[in-house]
Amino acid sequence: MVFNSIEYLIFLPLVVLLYYLIPHRYRWFMLLAASCLFYMWFVPKYILILLVTIVIDYSAGLLMERDADSPKKKKTWMVISVVSTLSVLFVFKYLGFVNDNFVKLCQSLGLNVRTSVNLILPIGLSFHTFQSMSYVIEVYRGHQKAERHFGYYALYVMFFPQLVTGPIERPGNLLRQLHEEKRFDGHNLVRGLRLILFGFFIKMVVADNLGACVDAVYEHPEQYNAWSVWLAMVFYSFQIYGDFFGYSTIALGSALLMGYEISDNFRSPYLSKNIGEFWHRWHISLSTWFRDYVYIPMGGSRVKFGRWAYNIMVVFVLSGLWHGANWTFLLWGFAHGLLHILEKVLYKAAGTAEDGRHRFRWCFQLLGMARTFLLVTLFWVFFRATDIGHIKTIFTAAFTQFGEGQPLAVDPKLWAFLALFIVSDFVLKDRRFDRWCDHVPVVLRWLLYAVLVFCTIVFSSVNNFPFIYFQF
Amino acid sequence: MKRLLLSIVAAAAVLVLMNWVYARWFYRADLLTHSDIVEASWQAATDSLELVYLGESSNKTYGYTDTDQRKISEMVAERLPEMRCGDITKEASHAEVYYYLLKNIPKDNDIKTVVVTMNLRSFGANWIYSSLETALQKKLVMIKGYPPLMGRALLAFKAYPIRTKDEWGRLARRSWEKTPLVFPYDFPYKTTADWNRAVAYEGVKDSLGQRDQALTELTAHFIKNYGFQIHDDNPRVRDFDRIVKLAKQRGWRLAFNIMAENTDRAQELVGDDLVFLMRQNVTYLKHRYEAMGVVVIDNLEAVRDRDFIDREWPTEHYYQTGRQTIARNVAEAIKKGDAMK
Repeated sequence: MVFNSIEYLIFLPLVVLLYYLIPHRYRWFMLLAASCLFYMWFVPKYILILLVTIVIDYSAGLLMERDADSPKKKKTWMVISVVSTLSVLFVFKYLGFVNDNFVKLCQSLGLNVRTSVNLILPIGLSFHTFQSMSYVIEVYRGHQKAERHFGYYALYVMFFPQLVTGPIERPGNLLRQLHEEKRFDGHNLVRGLRLILFGFFIKMVVADNLGACVDAVYEHPEQYNAWSVWLAMVFYSFQIYGDFFGYSTIALGSALLMGYEISDNFRSPYLSKNIGEFWHRWHISLSTWFRDYVYIPMGGSRVKFGRWAYNIMVVFVLSGLWHGANWTFLLWGFAHGLLHILEKVLYKAAGTAEDGRHRFRWCFQLLGMARTFLLVTLFWVFFRATDIGHIKTIFTAAFTQFGEGQPLAVDPKLWAFLALFIVSDFVLKDRRFDRWCDHVPVVLRWLLYAVLVFCTIVFSSVNNFPFIYFQF
Repeated sequence: MKRLLLSIVAAAAVLVLMNWVYARWFYRADLLTHSDIVEASWQAATDSLELVYLGESSNKTYGYTDTDQRKISEMVAERLPEMRCGDITKEASHAEVYYYLLKNIPKDNDIKTVVVTMNLRSFGANWIYSSLETALQKKLVMIKGYPPLMGRALLAFKAYPIRTKDEWGRLARRSWEKTPLVFPYDFPYKTTADWNRAVAYEGVKDSLGQRDQALTELTAHFIKNYGFQIHDDNPRVRDFDRIVKLAKQRGWRLAFNIMAENTDRAQELVGDDLVFLMRQNVTYLKHRYEAMGVVVIDNLEAVRDRDFIDREWPTEHYYQTGRQTIARNVAEAIKKGDAMK
């Protein structure tokens, strides 16, 4: 089930209503059943894969706690669990990619190898695999008690608001809250509805309408002039942000209706002054996952420069690969890692006026934002392109087709919505929409609700743009 | 509690206001953008038509060798000079689309007679689960009669079946697997799927006794398109029933025009069994709708093989002789028929 569907508009109120009607001790079951239904709406049989992961990691948690006195045994259970979970991810997400490259390599060596792997990637596999792994690692580290109740553990992995595209929750936050008895709170309900409304607007009005322009150019870049290709690149930056931010906001709102506070995934990422800051503001739950479970165990920044640079590259390349089994994602991660290292080197050599007490600090900050946005936009080309050849075609068109090709036709309304999105990012910087609304006078607030509802209904794209992160 | 009630009332008032704003300034443009087929329904009233012919591609497809390239509806109009005739034609349409097109004809109209194309294939799984359905259903969302803003909201939230070609195909295959074929005599296959598999396995032989793949595929297409039995729970039957009800409400005379199918080719490729099913289905439709007072025009075998344009796929696309035959039958039925009043 997708959030921006009529099915979800029926499903969510029913679940929330049932949630508050039934006693706390039965709520886990109802939420688990609802989450199963939500997931099975896509391809029912894939729930079995999810079940396998859940059973493995649930058992590993219990076994690690049983063998807490034996570090060796405890580590063995952790390794078995992580390897099993990653194997599932590997088979469904990476086996086809590895096989294709192996076949190409063999053919380039003159060997006649013909094998093919055609497995459909279960929706949200990367997300719930990482969420499940975070539980196992936290139990191994002793930060989290093993969950004895299978239902609660399954619900932690499958909680429908964040099941398919995150935020990737930690057991310390979500699992703990699932055990708490939540009482009906009108304010939470209002805040949740605000977030859902704002998420719908960003996804359906901004991101999806931008998507139509982006798709037109990315499908036939040779037909458009260079300015249009640049415009499409900029539009894609906002499309992917609106799409993912919109989804995360609806997820946050849906959970909040039942009293659950799940993690923020974005904090105005395009207002970042450098790439390091960007990664503190973009897809925060994934960045922190890599930070806590890959980067810091490798030594983090408390190592010599060479080792640090290596750590950064590993994390970013893995992050790229996490997104998809394609050289384009690997290149995207590599580019971000490289830029991160370069920025560190340059800042170290020249210092920066962005954060100091320089008289024109604001000017440097603005320049920093523009530079970061431009670089991130260029890197999104790697992310959006279908293959390396496509990346080349896009960049060739962007840098050579001046004065040739057709201009991209953009509906004036789209400019207005984009402007609204950018302004909202400035206004909301480091604040969430639901909390910001608390400080808006009641008449203005209702006017804002009405405008958002009206725009979401009347100006949303009628074309079907699945959430971009569904494919991961 | 008082505050909650006030909020609900305020929200309802805002929604009513928004609906008015939308209907006043945006609705018409949205209809013409997202449900453009409705324009033909409005036009039928504007043009003061007395007879409306609803059809799909069979109405307007002609052969390149045709000297007369007119639509079937135009040929009908020629034979009924005393009536102002017009058509509403939309490719791949079926009874559900016709129902909503008719429903959207403004109440203030001069229509007396409605002729609705009844395409036998449209009752089968191959059409019910056609990959064209997503686009068709999307076009219907806003003309289903909801308040304007709600119609647009349903479109925004994709209240229509979004399926890929593969997913539609799976549904059709499931239907062929699950729906039993019941013959009044011994028949070796229990379902359409069994029948299709047997043909695909055995293959159709050419004059040299070799497997002819193209002919085998065509035979399979015929089985999948006509190898079914219509029952009361068929979604198209329900749609045609709704059309009958609507016509009664509006006081229209109603005629269902069962299109000609290539029974010659069906006989040649598959044999008596398939032609039996085709005839059985037509008999069912005639009995059902004549009992409701509808004039049912049976053209099933009115057009011979040589007058069918498409050779590699079963369609209802006819050369001019075929279209003229259908038009003649429709016009005669209208003239003499005491269609439902």
